[in-house]
Amino acid sequence: MEEKGCIGIPRALMFYRYSPLWRAFFEGLGWRVMVSEGVRQKEKIIYFEDSCLPMKLLVTHAVQLKDQVDHLFIPRLVSIHRTYIMCPKFRGAPDIVRLATEGNVSIIDETVDLRKGGIPLLRSFLKMGEKLGASRRESRRAFREAETSFSKFQKDWVDRINRVPTRQLFEMDVPTPQTKNYTQKVPPPLAPARRTSSLAGGGGEAFRFSSSLGGNPTAGVCKDEKPPLRIAFVGHPYNLFDIDINKDLLALAKSLGMEIMTSDLLSEKEIDREVSGLSKEIYWSSGREIVGSLFHFLSGGVDGVVFLTSFKCGIDALLQEFIKRRLKVRGGSSIPLLILSFDEHTGREGLTTRLEAFRDVVEERKNSKSEAPACA
Amino acid sequence: MKVTFPHLGSMHIFCKAIAETAGIPYILPPETSRKTLTLGVLHSNESICLPFKIILGNFIEALQMGADTIVMVGSGPPCRLGLYDLVQKVILEDMGLHYRWLTIPPRLSWKAIWKNHEETKELRKELSAKNILFFPYGLWMGWKKMMACETLEQLAMKVRPMEIKKGETQKRLKKALSWVDEAKTSSALEEALRKGKALLQEMEQDHSRIPFRVAIVGELYTVMDPYINRGVEQKLGELGVEVTRTSWFSTHILRSLRRNKADRASERVRFFEASKAYLGYDVGAECNISIGEAIVRSQEGYDGVVHLMPFACMPETTASGILTKVGKDRNIPILTVILDEQEIEGRIQTLLEAFVEMLEWKRRAA
Repeated sequence: MEEKGCIGIPRALMFYRYSPLWRAFFEGLGWRVMVSEGVRQKEKIIYFEDSCLPMKLLVTHAVQLKDQVDHLFIPRLVSIHRTYIMCPKFRGAPDIVRLATEGNVSIIDETVDLRKGGIPLLRSFLKMGEKLGASRRESRRAFREAETSFSKFQKDWVDRINRVPTRQLFEMDVPTPQTKNYTQKVPPPLAPARRTSSLAGGGGEAFRFSSSLGGNPTAGVCKDEKPPLRIAFVGHPYNLFDIDINKDLLALAKSLGMEIMTSDLLSEKEIDREVSGLSKEIYWSSGREIVGSLFHFLSGGVDGVVFLTSFKCGIDALLQEFIKRRLKVRGGSSIPLLILSFDEHTGREGLTTRLEAFRDVVEERKNSKSEAPACA
Repeated sequence: MKVTFPHLGSMHIFCKAIAETAGIPYILPPETSRKTLTLGVLHSNESICLPFKIILGNFIEALQMGADTIVMVGSGPPCRLGLYDLVQKVILEDMGLHYRWLTIPPRLSWKAIWKNHEETKELRKELSAKNILFFPYGLWMGWKKMMACETLEQLAMKVRPMEIKKGETQKRLKKALSWVDEAKTSSALEEALRKGKALLQEMEQDHSRIPFRVAIVGELYTVMDPYINRGVEQKLGELGVEVTRTSWFSTHILRSLRRNKADRASERVRFFEASKAYLGYDVGAECNISIGEAIVRSQEGYDGVVHLMPFACMPETTASGILTKVGKDRNIPILTVILDEQEIEGRIQTLLEAFVEMLEWKRRAA
């Protein structure tokens, strides 16, 4: 198929959940997809508005892309759940980007609101297809194919988090290493890591950091000597996977012998169970997921829980207080909880210290528990 | 049972009126002060918006004074206001304070009425027949007082830039509001309103001045409460500015009752339509209205816009980004003031003085 042009997707916000779906859809329609590179240096961040770091990064990525693409893809995500909604900032995101790019680039800002009846997601994608000059049939087919590949992608997601460097998590052509290879032949991640380092044009410091970790045999050694610590990482997907926000905390965690668990492991039912008895329904889908999974993980099954949040995130600020207080009122949890708040000034050194200390606490607790279960 | 409610502008006057007329015992939280704010800040997260902290502080102080039933307006998505009660309840519980909570539904629907019915089941047992019988009358009285307060405040906004003795309007307004507050019957209220109006109008005024016209837009709590915004309205007025605002209790109450036919409500529709030039969707809360009002005011020939928002407010952060652009495009000065718990009264005074000076240059150049 001849290439119709180029669509730019900023590597920000819900890119860190839906990018395989979006990319497959546009590629299915015969468009080339260009994803922005990382920002890496805080000097490069564009402060168009005084918002949370993830929002500022969206603007920065969009401005990076604007001269190289025909269209920018910034969907207006009103709701990505049939009942609950997104943060209000997502509703204005395309408009903010339009002003920041000074209207120089066409923006595909189709509204996604899954609360509406019928098949709202398909409808939104059909409209996007229409804007790009595709017929309904073509769009429908591309959407179905994208959906299939997306659900395939989601299947081994949790394995993928643990075995693929954070930077490559959303690169569809990087396969997830199989479990067998992983445990038997010690450090496998080096090879694929090198490959993308050339692809990404030397992905920068953070990337080298993670690839050197891949070469670090700790992960393998840990597997042999003692079981890894099962640590749940909870937060908005962009706080979890955007290394410009969290300085590749996940790689750091892996190097400390932690097995990463996320709320993706939990079914909607398990999350709902934790938040259904509240005096008022939490109406943000991400907020529900965070509160529900935090309570779920803190009630057992893991060795420790880390909650990642961005400074100035309205949802997290409010719910964080709720979580802390509710835990206290209900008698607390014996599982250690670490709350990390990120902004553009967060340094990796500080994070390392905190995570190492957290690891020690978790380990201490685990050891004392195995020696004298009564103490716990 | 002792009912209490948060402070917000002159809200205590008419909330008190409702409770008093219906004979329901109540406790008025002490006027919002540094102490209130400190209490609120101490017991919440730093990035939670300022109204949350102040309302929480009001509740803590009232509960410590012996109140046991909190009455609070509810709200809905997408702004955080809708979940204030969820979090505040847990915080109060954790502090060991006992309370009962009564939510006033944000929108009139069967579901909300049912929930309200459930919540008030216990409370109604404590009310006497007289309380219930007089409650509608209390509501009516409250509404009357609210309208009286708004009339007086609007009049004060008009005459303040003309005052010859600085601070005189504020003094007279306070007096007039206290008369309204003291009125017990409907006829006494009418008398108080008439006297109050006269008091403001009779003030010595310099009618030769041509005041600047500035609209205050933004998050409703910061716009309506003089403690939170450190008296922006009064300060601007005393600098010779005739201030307009469209956020009033009656606007918001009529809006939630879906009585959109009233003039002010239709004004909001106009603002919303205007905001579409910049915003493709309803962001929620006052975001679209803030932007729309700034656009409409620039068309109406206003001299400037002051945009108020609490730090980290979700919808208004989006609005402030867009307003910068609106100001440039429409050639209207827009001053965004972000409010948090810091002592910034002096800074706000300086900001406003500079802003008004800029308006003067602009007028001279024209």
